[in-house]
Amino acid sequence: MANIKELKKKIKSTKGTLKITSAMKLVSAAKLAKAQQAIQSSRPYAGELEDTIKTISALVENYSHQYLNENKENKRAALLVISANKGLCGGYNSQLAKEVKKFLANTDMDVKTYFIGKKVRELILSDVNEGKFYEFEKVEPSYLEIQGVAKELGDLFSSGEFGKVYIAYNVFKSAIEFVPTVKTALPMTLEEEELKKVEEDFPFDFKYDPSPEALLDTLIPEAYMSTVYTCVLDGLAAEHGSRMSAMDSAVSNCKDAIRTQTLKMNKLRQAAITTELIEVVSGAESLKG
Amino acid sequence: MNHFTVDVLTPNKVIARDIPCESLLIPTVRGQINVLPDHTHIVTRLSTGHLTIFGGADDADKSFTVSYGLCKVVGNKVSILANTCEEDREIDAIRAQEALDNANEVLKGSDNLSDEDIVKYQRKAERAQIRLQIAKRFSK
Repeated sequence: MANIKELKKKIKSTKGTLKITSAMKLVSAAKLAKAQQAIQSSRPYAGELEDTIKTISALVENYSHQYLNENKENKRAALLVISANKGLCGGYNSQLAKEVKKFLANTDMDVKTYFIGKKVRELILSDVNEGKFYEFEKVEPSYLEIQGVAKELGDLFSSGEFGKVYIAYNVFKSAIEFVPTVKTALPMTLEEEELKKVEEDFPFDFKYDPSPEALLDTLIPEAYMSTVYTCVLDGLAAEHGSRMSAMDSAVSNCKDAIRTQTLKMNKLRQAAITTELIEVVSGAESLKG
Repeated sequence: MNHFTVDVLTPNKVIARDIPCESLLIPTVRGQINVLPDHTHIVTRLSTGHLTIFGGADDADKSFTVSYGLCKVVGNKVSILANTCEEDREIDAIRAQEALDNANEVLKGSDNLSDEDIVKYQRKAERAQIRLQIAKRFSK
């Protein structure tokens, strides 16, 4: 049975942990608010741009861009895994790692894996063929840095090194929910179902100004960059959200632990006092006798 | 009244969503176009300029300064995707003047600039000029 002194020590250290976790929770909450703002204001733009490109490229005949060409023969693919640099964020990294493993097990492509964020890399490094590990000066990479990464992968794609470029990341749903996802970034072609839908929705063609080719030439790289950047923003928001909820449950666990330990300690103390009293009383009784 | 709606989006901000509109002036690379309800479907590139949304009898008119981007008209829905965009009343004339001076300064020594940089600063100067024009109109 633990003695009072030990319990006191334990309570003190749990209180220390509580302070750390609640501070981390507050920090994540503040960061989350910022990241959420960023992702929610850039999502509509990126979505609309991607939609437009896909629609136009499906409608325009005889147009080809290096980012649109699908080469079914090419069985090499790149996978960019966007994860966190830090742990203590619940299932954020492990769930993404699981999703990546599942994807690698099911694909028939020869996949080379690129990493942003070291945590998932540590988890799955032994199972993958590593391409490159990107590190940035700050925790939150800037648009330019991401553009560099996107361009590097895009160039490898257009040179025929890879037949496909995938991105694995956590999609931010809400502060407590994220969905690990693997999505195809290149080529930007539509699935057949989507293609049919486009044809149904747009039985007419658009008028273009200038020519559709000129439009697509400039828009496609732009859309690709914005897709990659949005994925990174999504990942960041999901990370902060996930860390916040993980820390929230850690805080309540700490509080629970402190409560039960204090109760235990008080019980022990009470028992000790009772024993002492009995001793005093029985000593006095025997003297009387 | 036959209305349609307008979305104005930029990469880091949703400027406006579903604004009711009766008539719309859009600056495109080949000049300004006027969009009325039941316009034909078009996709066109924006140039730097002045986007005006006329709300009709019930809704307020709004005008924005936009620069390079895309404009899509599908049915009664117009989407403006601009690289930068700001509503007129947010414009800061002093900052615009500084930006214009700065850009012109850099362009003067354009011999040592790469092509990309020249385009970048030309665009900066264009944007600043348009902002200044608008700011002047407001201060009158």
